Amino acid sequence: MAYVAVSGGEEAIAASIQLLDYYRSGSEKELDIDALVHQLGLMIDKVMSESGLYAKEYAALALKQCEGSTEEAVFLLRAYRSTLKRSHYTNIADTKAMRIIRRISAAFKDIPGGQLLGASYDYTHRLIRFDEERSSGGRLHETFKKILADQQPEAIQSYGRVSDMLKKEGLLDTYPQDDTMPYDVTEKLLEFPAPRSARLQTMTRADTGFLSGLAYSVLRGFGQVHPTVGELRCGYLELTIPYPDAEGESIYLGEILITEVETFAQSSDEDGLKLASGYGAVFGRNENKAIAMAVIDREIERGGDYAAQDEEFVLMHGDCLEMNGFISHLKLPHYVTFQSKLDAVRKTRRNTK
Amino acid sequence: MNKKRLFQILARADREEVIQLGNKIKQECHSVTVVKQPEKTLTMIKMREPVKNSLFYLGEIIVTEATVTMDGSTGVAVTMGDDFDKTLSMAMIDAACNAGVFHYEELLIAWESEQHLQIEKENAMMQKTKVDFHSMDSEVST
Repeated sequence: MAYVAVSGGEEAIAASIQLLDYYRSGSEKELDIDALVHQLGLMIDKVMSESGLYAKEYAALALKQCEGSTEEAVFLLRAYRSTLKRSHYTNIADTKAMRIIRRISAAFKDIPGGQLLGASYDYTHRLIRFDEERSSGGRLHETFKKILADQQPEAIQSYGRVSDMLKKEGLLDTYPQDDTMPYDVTEKLLEFPAPRSARLQTMTRADTGFLSGLAYSVLRGFGQVHPTVGELRCGYLELTIPYPDAEGESIYLGEILITEVETFAQSSDEDGLKLASGYGAVFGRNENKAIAMAVIDREIERGGDYAAQDEEFVLMHGDCLEMNGFISHLKLPHYVTFQSKLDAVRKTRRNTK
Repeated sequence: MNKKRLFQILARADREEVIQLGNKIKQECHSVTVVKQPEKTLTMIKMREPVKNSLFYLGEIIVTEATVTMDGSTGVAVTMGDDFDKTLSMAMIDAACNAGVFHYEELLIAWESEQHLQIEKENAMMQKTKVDFHSMDSEVST
């Protein structure tokens, strides 16, 4: 059946688009982009991660424009990204050298370098602080400017990986350095079985809720047993590109905040002499997504009949833009296809009478 | 000073100060030609993962890049964000370095010290969250 174009409704559509702004016009106060970047950081991290584009101010602007809808903001960022050419690939970013702001292990109490709690909601009382949060703007900024100024500087140290300890003991498999050019899912369609690079890239861009739900299903029994978070680290990753025509020189581009997780689980080998690990890395401070990614990475590697172990199922259904686009299309006019369905039912009813 | 260090100092530095330094270099009557006007472009992040020791792409960042020539030497700048004026000034500073006419290394080193100080002060706040475990029961601690 062919698609039939219908006209009409242009004025209604224009009025509908204008109405979107009406819903943002109820307050005289304007949302400030700088305030959004610094006060809704976790939401911005989530949008950047799901759009695959690390650009805080642009993510804030997108969120402001679409009333805080994550999927619309992701759509805006992906659309904008598609208008830019890509001129560079970074040198291989080294997460071992990250400037760590949080690092914990659920597997070992004592890890070389120690456990650094950093900032975490895990230990907070979930109570709304009515008075405090209603206080005037800039209070936190001033308070922390002073606290920061009073600090005694402490030198930055790098932290080895917890998994390296297990690798040294032979409890985790080690692999030779693999410098195969990564598969790029933004340029090529996925094929199955997917290369590991395509799997990791797809998952790091995936919808946070989708990955969390799948990882939850694994923990509830629709997958392997309970994995352990070997290491969760959050920190600033330095990005560089080669300096043109100068061997060994590089250009520092800036640094991005990422969360990285390694989970340890039972290995699939028969004799059970080793552990296996899963890996997750995402833009920003987004711990549950990184943990979920690591859990599912291991599940896909292991394979099986559950949803989280099915590579095609996981990789084809978790993209924020694709899933919301497809669901959203259901509300667009399907007048002809629905008429045909109605005709079929009417015909069947006539035949049965 | 190697290029990585130069660009790290400039990327972290205040935009107004970098632009001011760029203008100063320009005024020192060097002939500057903008070969490539500042423009936004994407850079893909390549990372190594620890499980299979392989490479993958984490996502992209927006960078601004520019190229200039000064007294016959080329200067480039590529930096995160969309600050055209700052990037152009960075390219001029790079060109001055390449032409051997950059006399402000001490200033950059002073900026760098201040940048390190701020980072180390922030780090001090993080280090206060380091856990000092004490086992409360010797039997369960083993």
